[in-house]
Amino acid sequence: MTVPPPQDGPAPKPTQRVVVTSPRTRAPRARRPYSGTREINEQSELGAVYMRTLIRAQRRLGLSVCLVVCGSLSVLPLLFSIEPDLGRARVLGLGLPWFLLCVATFPMLLLAGWFYVRQAERSEREFAELVERP
Amino acid sequence: MTSGYAIVAVLVVALGTILVGTYGLRVSRTTSDFYVASRTVSPWWNASAIGGEYLSAASFVGIAGLIFAYGPDMLWFPVGYTAGYLVLLTMVAAPLRRSGAYTLPDFAEARFRSRVVRAVASILALAIGWLYLLPQLEGAGLTLNTVTGAPDWVGALIVTLVVTVNVMSGGMRSITFVQAFQYWLKLTAITVPIVFLIVVWQVHGAESMTKPEFPTFRQDTKVAFSHQTTIHAEQSIFIKGSGEIDGLRIEDAGLVLTNGYHRIGQGSEFTFPQGGAVPHVSTMDHNTNATWALPESSGQKFPLYGVYSLIIATFLGTMGLPHVIVRFYTNPNGTAARRTTLIVLGLLSVFYLMPPLYGALGRLYTPELLMTGQTDAVVLVLPTRMIDGIGGQLLGALVAGGAFAAFLSTSSGLVVSLAGVLSQDVLRLGGVRGFRISTVLAGVVPLAMTFVSTGMPVADMVGLAFAVAASSLCPLLMLGIWSTRITTVGAIAGMLAGGVPALTAGLVTMFSDADDSWYEVLLSRPAAWTVPLGFAVMYVVSLLTPRHVPPGVQRAMVKLHAPENLGLDGSGPSSADERS
Amino acid sequence: MQDFLTAAAILIVGGAAVLVLWRGTRNKQSLSTEAQRVTYETLHTAWSAAPPLRAGLVPDAAKKSARHLRTLLDTPALALTDETEVVAWEGVSEHHAAEAMTQAEDVFLTGRTQAFDIGCTEPNCPINCAVVAPLTVEGRVVGTLAAYSREASAGLVRATNQVARWAAGQLELAELDRSRTRLVEAEVRALRAQISPHFIYNSLSAIASYVRTNPERARTLLLDFADFTRYSFRRHGDFTTLAEELRSIDQYLALERARFGERLKVTLQVAPEVLPVTVPFLCLQPLVENAVRHGMEGKVEPGHIQIYANDGGAEAQITIEDDGIGMDPDKLRRTLAGQVDESAGIGLGNIDERLRRVYGDEYGLVVETACGLGTKITVRVPKYHAGINGM
Repeated sequence: MTVPPPQDGPAPKPTQRVVVTSPRTRAPRARRPYSGTREINEQSELGAVYMRTLIRAQRRLGLSVCLVVCGSLSVLPLLFSIEPDLGRARVLGLGLPWFLLCVATFPMLLLAGWFYVRQAERSEREFAELVERP
Repeated sequence: MTSGYAIVAVLVVALGTILVGTYGLRVSRTTSDFYVASRTVSPWWNASAIGGEYLSAASFVGIAGLIFAYGPDMLWFPVGYTAGYLVLLTMVAAPLRRSGAYTLPDFAEARFRSRVVRAVASILALAIGWLYLLPQLEGAGLTLNTVTGAPDWVGALIVTLVVTVNVMSGGMRSITFVQAFQYWLKLTAITVPIVFLIVVWQVHGAESMTKPEFPTFRQDTKVAFSHQTTIHAEQSIFIKGSGEIDGLRIEDAGLVLTNGYHRIGQGSEFTFPQGGAVPHVSTMDHNTNATWALPESSGQKFPLYGVYSLIIATFLGTMGLPHVIVRFYTNPNGTAARRTTLIVLGLLSVFYLMPPLYGALGRLYTPELLMTGQTDAVVLVLPTRMIDGIGGQLLGALVAGGAFAAFLSTSSGLVVSLAGVLSQDVLRLGGVRGFRISTVLAGVVPLAMTFVSTGMPVADMVGLAFAVAASSLCPLLMLGIWSTRITTVGAIAGMLAGGVPALTAGLVTMFSDADDSWYEVLLSRPAAWTVPLGFAVMYVVSLLTPRHVPPGVQRAMVKLHAPENLGLDGSGPSSADERS
Repeated sequence: MQDFLTAAAILIVGGAAVLVLWRGTRNKQSLSTEAQRVTYETLHTAWSAAPPLRAGLVPDAAKKSARHLRTLLDTPALALTDETEVVAWEGVSEHHAAEAMTQAEDVFLTGRTQAFDIGCTEPNCPINCAVVAPLTVEGRVVGTLAAYSREASAGLVRATNQVARWAAGQLELAELDRSRTRLVEAEVRALRAQISPHFIYNSLSAIASYVRTNPERARTLLLDFADFTRYSFRRHGDFTTLAEELRSIDQYLALERARFGERLKVTLQVAPEVLPVTVPFLCLQPLVENAVRHGMEGKVEPGHIQIYANDGGAEAQITIEDDGIGMDPDKLRRTLAGQVDESAGIGLGNIDERLRRVYGDEYGLVVETACGLGTKITVRVPKYHAGINGM
């Protein structure tokens, strides 16, 4: 029968001091987040994400205004071709095609353009605010 | 129909252009108060300059002529010319300005970092410029012919000479203020007469223009035929005069022109009776006024295709015109570029309300132009026809002057940008000598082409230039600005795949007589198939060659899209600090 | 019989002709001797390797130069390292790249070429040994060049040494280039920081003289002065727009006018189309200062200064002209050639150098002057330039 080895005496005396701190001292410091501008300038992944968001938003705005206006205009020849009676209808003393293409289109283009400029500038302002604060 | 006042007006415009170009608008003060121009050009000035340079022969006389001949299908020209700016505004204006490019080849090099892409873009810009310049010279020839009776080539020669000399001597360097003034001049020249003309029309009883009858001569009209013309008479009419009809020589006698086709010899002069139905030139469909006012009555084969092709060409082609793009550089930043484009939309809209009115009035008052085929002359002939005496002559002179101003200003802008492309990218000759050689070349080539081209309507020729621009440079701009996947190989392939067919189609249409074959409309309005071709090839080839994405594409996107005031990426200095 | 002879004669003559032609074209080497050919080949390859080396020991460029260097040495593999890592490996057996750094460290320690035996277990690997030579720039070892081969011969060692020396020479040239750029930039910084003390004193005195008599004017001038100094010290990059530069010139002239009063007459004409053009920072303002100083120096009658900015199509043309004492053309020529060390203040040579560096040699300053006849300086700047506006 074996006998458990005798307990050693008191634990061996340490020969060197050990440095002790609270674990939070050594924890990695959370850096202050860089502002978006800095991220973009440094061409980091984060910067690319910011730019992609902006580009996507601008593209969506531009394409939607463009397609809505051009689309509605482009539908007209088809309409007149399918429904010849439309060509004979009269508005304000003018034939419908004349009225639409001469009188109505230009204000519509202007309005669409004005709307786009306002939206684009607003979108840029918002992006600026987003990106300048860290 | 010569008018002394009109000649004077044309001379005044020509001389004025030369003088202003040579001496410039030098506002200088040498006293201790000095004039500081650290202001930038306000969007209104810049927009007026763009409008002034953009309103060319096609806008001034061409549109009215086409509407007069073919009806509301042709209204798509002015709509397209204007809507093109909306497309430019929403998709291209601000990023193009932010790229810092002065010309489109500059943009090609900046975005793709490749001299080959730049070279292809330069060649296309050159082709588009020449295609656009040719109808200006033809329009000038027509104006001078209408006003003075001089042969067509005289007007073209004069414009070429004036513009080339002017540009070579250093003047007419697209001075913003001069071009801005041109817009307001053109607007006045086309608006004032039409106001009077409408009043006269009201006084005459506001006769309807859409009666279900053929257009008739309002009074006995003497018509001179400067070319051999084949006409189709709808009804028999009795005419008098001297000349050749169907091979028969007639000297100062009367003849009944039976209904059907007749060939009238060159140099003939006949008087047509009041109330007689106007024969039409054989290439034009013979319509009653009621039919004329309906869409798709233009007598083209496949009218729907033609209209859609025109829509695509004009909507997408504006951004590729060489003399338009360089004006964007004058804007200080992207926001100003957008505002400028918006104002251009407004200025063009106001102008384009006028030509259709001329076209409509022409059906009543100048129907003989339907017979000679010189429909583009409607704008020039109407004032003297409707208003007798000195009033009509003055108004006619105003219109003629405005038309000539249109040719001169657009031609100057085109010659300057073409000379720039030639001297920088094609011939690589530097310095003043290189610029002078390029200017001469830029002007002489279209002049030579005028001697060979058939008499296409001016606005149609301009439409071809738009088609080439829409097929090649529009994909470059749109895809280059909004997609990071476009590679250099794809860009080149797309530009060539769209531009070369469109260019070939255009040249064939211009220099060979139109057959009545089914593919004729595909050649004269090629945009519907060349534009999708250009876009598709550019995108697909780019996807197939991903290793040729230009380096630094992310940086490029930042530069194009980031708002200026953020000072991102060193993209130019921040705006000046405000004084507190 | 006769036919047979004729046929034979034709065949023989034809065959001889073909033979002569054949020998003649094969002897292409008679166009040049062996020595000339070898010299041409070596130097041609060497010069192909030069441009990438000028970019320094960076991975992209080093790969290109390594390719040419390996052709020079004709070894199965070649590696370039900088002080910390292998920047390029060219050739077969890339698995040896990892050890390349350890070998390089040895060379870094001693600064001398060394040969290493590499035991390679791969069956197809032709590499058994390496010759590693240091790349020494200005007495410092900045990297190594390692040539790998089947066996280390004396010839390989000597060739590697020479190639390493030559490559180091190219790196040194690159260093020189960078130094020159830094020098020019330092001069610009000095220019920036150097608003002449005389100017400050004179301006403040002039402002002071208005404080009682015309306080509004004094206030405006003071703000002009503040704006002007702020612009000069600004650090936003090396480029600015012509509009901003002209604004600074405007403020400067306002201050000088306060000092000279009616004696300084200025004409300023600017075409609005050239205002957005990008120009190097402080490329015009020192010229105007120059013009004012020369234009007013030692004169009692009024001095005229003319500043024009014109649109030249694809360029902007700026002329600055004064009717003062002019400059000595010979001395000026030497300054523009970089032969005279400019005393602080004028900056003409610096501006000329900067313009030519950015835009190319055609865009240097053009000066028309003679003693007592005034000076006219013309600056041309392209509206678009790939170097600046390219993205």
